[in-house]
Amino acid sequence: MNIIKGFMTTFKHVLEEPVTLQYPEQVKDFEKRYKGRHHLRRYDNGLEKCIGCSLCAAACPADAIWVEAAENSDEERYSPGERYAKTYEINMLRCIFCGYCEDACPTQAIQLGHEHQLSFTDRRDAIYIKDMLIDAPADGQEATPRQVEAGVYTQSIPNMEDPS
Amino acid sequence: MVTPVKEDTELVTINIDGKDYQVPKGGNLVDMAKWVAGNDIPVFCYHPKMDPVGMCRMCLIELGGVARDRATGDIQYNDDGTPQIRWFPKLQTACTQTVNDGMYIKTNTEQVKEGRESVIEFLLTSHPLDCPICDKGGECPLQNLTMAHGNGVSRMYFDDKMHLNKHYPLGDLIYLDRERCIQCARCIRFQDEIVGDDVLAFHERGRRLQIITNSDPGFDTYFSGNTTDICPVGALTTGDFRFGARPWELTEVPSISPWDAAGENISLSTRLDRDFGGKAMIKRVMPRQNEYVNEIWISDKTRFGHHFTRSDNRLSKIQIRKGSNFSESTWDSTFKAVAKTLKEANGSVAAIAGGSATNEDLYELAQLVTGLGGDKLGAWSPTHTGADLVAQVGLPEGSNLGELGAGDAILVIASDLEEEVPMWRLRLKTAQDRGAYLVVANGRNTRLEELATEDPNIKGRVVDGAAIRYEAGSAAAVMANLKKSNKDIAKKLADANHLVIVAGAEGLTLEGHRALVQSAANFLIDSGHAGKVNSGLLVPLPGANGMGLHYMGFSPETTQDIAANPPKVLIVLNAEILDDDPTAKTWLSQVDTVITLGYFMDAIARESKFVLPVQTFAERDGSFTNGERRVQRFYTAQGPMGDAIPAWKAVGNIAQAADLGRAKLSAAAVMVAIAKNVAAFEGITYKVLARTERQFPDVGGDDKYYGGNAYQNTGGIGKQIALSGTAKSEKVTVPDALKAGKGEIVLLPTTRLYDRSHMFIPTVMVRSRVSLPFVHLNPKDAKALKLADGDYAEVNYDGGSVRVRAVVSDDVSVGAAVFPRKLTEKATPLVPTVGTITKVTEPAQIEG
Ligand code: SF4
Ligand code: SF4
Ligand code: SF4
Ligand code: FES
Repeated sequence: MNIIKGFMTTFKHVLEEPVTLQYPEQVKDFEKRYKGRHHLRRYDNGLEKCIGCSLCAAACPADAIWVEAAENSDEERYSPGERYAKTYEINMLRCIFCGYCEDACPTQAIQLGHEHQLSFTDRRDAIYIKDMLIDAPADGQEATPRQVEAGVYTQSIPNMEDPS
Repeated sequence: MVTPVKEDTELVTINIDGKDYQVPKGGNLVDMAKWVAGNDIPVFCYHPKMDPVGMCRMCLIELGGVARDRATGDIQYNDDGTPQIRWFPKLQTACTQTVNDGMYIKTNTEQVKEGRESVIEFLLTSHPLDCPICDKGGECPLQNLTMAHGNGVSRMYFDDKMHLNKHYPLGDLIYLDRERCIQCARCIRFQDEIVGDDVLAFHERGRRLQIITNSDPGFDTYFSGNTTDICPVGALTTGDFRFGARPWELTEVPSISPWDAAGENISLSTRLDRDFGGKAMIKRVMPRQNEYVNEIWISDKTRFGHHFTRSDNRLSKIQIRKGSNFSESTWDSTFKAVAKTLKEANGSVAAIAGGSATNEDLYELAQLVTGLGGDKLGAWSPTHTGADLVAQVGLPEGSNLGELGAGDAILVIASDLEEEVPMWRLRLKTAQDRGAYLVVANGRNTRLEELATEDPNIKGRVVDGAAIRYEAGSAAAVMANLKKSNKDIAKKLADANHLVIVAGAEGLTLEGHRALVQSAANFLIDSGHAGKVNSGLLVPLPGANGMGLHYMGFSPETTQDIAANPPKVLIVLNAEILDDDPTAKTWLSQVDTVITLGYFMDAIARESKFVLPVQTFAERDGSFTNGERRVQRFYTAQGPMGDAIPAWKAVGNIAQAADLGRAKLSAAAVMVAIAKNVAAFEGITYKVLARTERQFPDVGGDDKYYGGNAYQNTGGIGKQIALSGTAKSEKVTVPDALKAGKGEIVLLPTTRLYDRSHMFIPTVMVRSRVSLPFVHLNPKDAKALKLADGDYAEVNYDGGSVRVRAVVSDDVSVGAAVFPRKLTEKATPLVPTVGTITKVTEPAQIEG
């Protein structure tokens, strides 16, 4: 009797769909919160969200991020407010994909996406610079830097919600 | 140790949170609680270097005192025998309390916590959410105190906040963010109380209260950068560091200002930088506490002048002359070639070194020259002398200008200290504010004279000062005859508890300066002040290491001797001889070979056979001896530039190639040799120089709010060299003042803090403040020359001529034209000389 029970289990699994995927032909669907390689996001108006504050670099336990900041002007604006990231680099060989950078970012500029197929033949290629990380502006939006109307984008951090 | 407790300080007992402490009477409660009990009472507006104002209410505590019977004054006791305490019904501000016997305070009760929390909440009602982009973020008192004492949740939201100008340049150097200001008035009070230039002020009222500057042009005192350190928020930031890095990313390297005789202690904040080839780069310069030297302040020149270390014009390769061209070379072959040239000179070798060479460089250079059989070691520039007398009657070990006060006296003669050694001017002026008698003697008006003699009623302070205005060039005679011609002043100086004399060289030839310094030494010896702690002689020697030059055997008199008898081979170290002195080319042309070690391809380098690039203070270890004979070390901070190496190394290797012994391997090893062979340096090692001690006030520790962002001294407070020798009062022969013939005029070179020297001009942000070249004339002289204020004039002197603006006012004396050095790229007179001034009618190009 026990033997039959045992074989029943085996047969059940024979009929089930296999879990093994034929990677790379087949790719698994990811959970929404899967932490793959990073993206630097833009606001809907095309300005960069990143303000070059280095908080992600400070939070990063692997010391994978390098930020150098510079000053915006209305003639050459990258992001709202006074400061933007002149240099933004992530070393993907150091990154442990913990997502602390995402948590630390005050403007939700850095977000871990779903791309996970990272392989390099040279260590230096593992350093993703800002141009590789930043999203393209939405359709119809101008890229940065760009000239904007004076005195509009004065606030670096988006408005706080009413806490009441 | 710098402490508030001296041998004769009266102590009182106060009780903090239930424990008794002995503290010096009259101290400030916040200072004392921190010093004796390590109790950090949070403050915003209070600053240990300034008078309390009680504006921010952050320092609330419960305050009480021992209850006494009103009639008898007896202490009242509880039943259990403990004294009764009478508590104030409401919280009190600690910063406005002076400690007295029987004072009781509580800093950890519910009421105090609530008080602090409310003050923080109030300050944040309109504070912008700027921390991520704010240059102060990470070392911000408001951030720190909010974390420590604030309520974790905010009841305010952004839309309700006050919106003001976020990017207001107060001047070229300092930016104001009006939203961030918490109206503590520290900046205003610093300018007013410490600097003596009250150019900042509040404007409007209530929530709209804003900082404004009422100086024109902009906020441009020589100390403006210090306001950014003591501002407890990011309202004041420097243009230099703007978005340069986040404070926690910086590596702090202890260093010493390379500019002047004060030897300000600084911290070089460095960080790796893409634009600097991935090397460590100085991002900003911060003060480092040394209560003996610069307290917690630095001058703007020190703060912003670091750019020359990375200038594109820095010499990065060895240059060897072939005919009229230069070609590059490697160190090894250069050492050999230079050694060969030196040996071939058969002992006809001399060296001239400038004030930015370190003790180590100078020692090795002296060894090389004497090893080769030469004996002439000249100090540049030959404008100031008297270092030997400073070594004998200077301020003795343990002295501190910060201790001068009531009953003491200071004489500043023939020096514009504001332009020459701004830190001394700041400390001597604050000494006057504490009650010292300050006399300023000069042939013209200077900023310190204005400050010393300004009407005390304007500021409501009782300050005691006097000015002596003498005929230009007669400083030595004035000092020698002080007791006769200025009886009252001389008596007051001689009778003072402590007397400091600063003897500059303005308007004097080298011989004249020697006479002045000797007369000043005589005065100190005769009055019995020589050798007394906190009394003595100071000379604003040019460069950071004027005293080091003396101790290593270099003297300005020898420089004159070298000029009179030029050697076959001359080694020039960090001395811009041809840029500084228009007459130098005559004697330099008789020198066969010049070997230059320097930072730039300056005029003397272009005339040299060998040009060797050496490292600045930023890239290497070394030490300077400041004007008070304090030996202070600095550490390697910035990545190297090109092939430059430290000068001691270059010189040591040349000596090795010339078979004069092995080159030393480190700066520390050179210091060991110095300690062995230079008597004054006995016992000094890098380890001794790195010693620190606890200093009052306790600034720059973990808190960062109490005294601002000055850095705690971790690199060493240095070691003051003891006085040596027994100077006697000597008879002085005052050389005759220069006399101008018909149609001529005496030109008196002066020093300007901001000039067009190779070292300073790369500081782009300050360039607009470098004055255009000018000659300053008395109206009488101007009339004779038919010049009006603002006219163009051509100044002709031995060795050149230059077109400048004429400034006409009676701030200068008759018969002499003040003609600042280094305001043009052309060499202008280094020492007083006779020249002519003619009006230029066609629109002339000012050579800036
Ligand atoms: S995911 Fe983690 S390890 Fe990777 S860059 Fe962000 S903080 Fe650093
Ligand atoms: S990604 Fe976010 S945390 Fe990182 S520098 Fe940009 S704004 Fe700051
Ligand atoms: S600018 Fe800074 S130092 Fe000046 S009042 Fe405002 S907060 Fe205080
Ligand atoms: S009121 Fe005491 S520190 Fe401001």
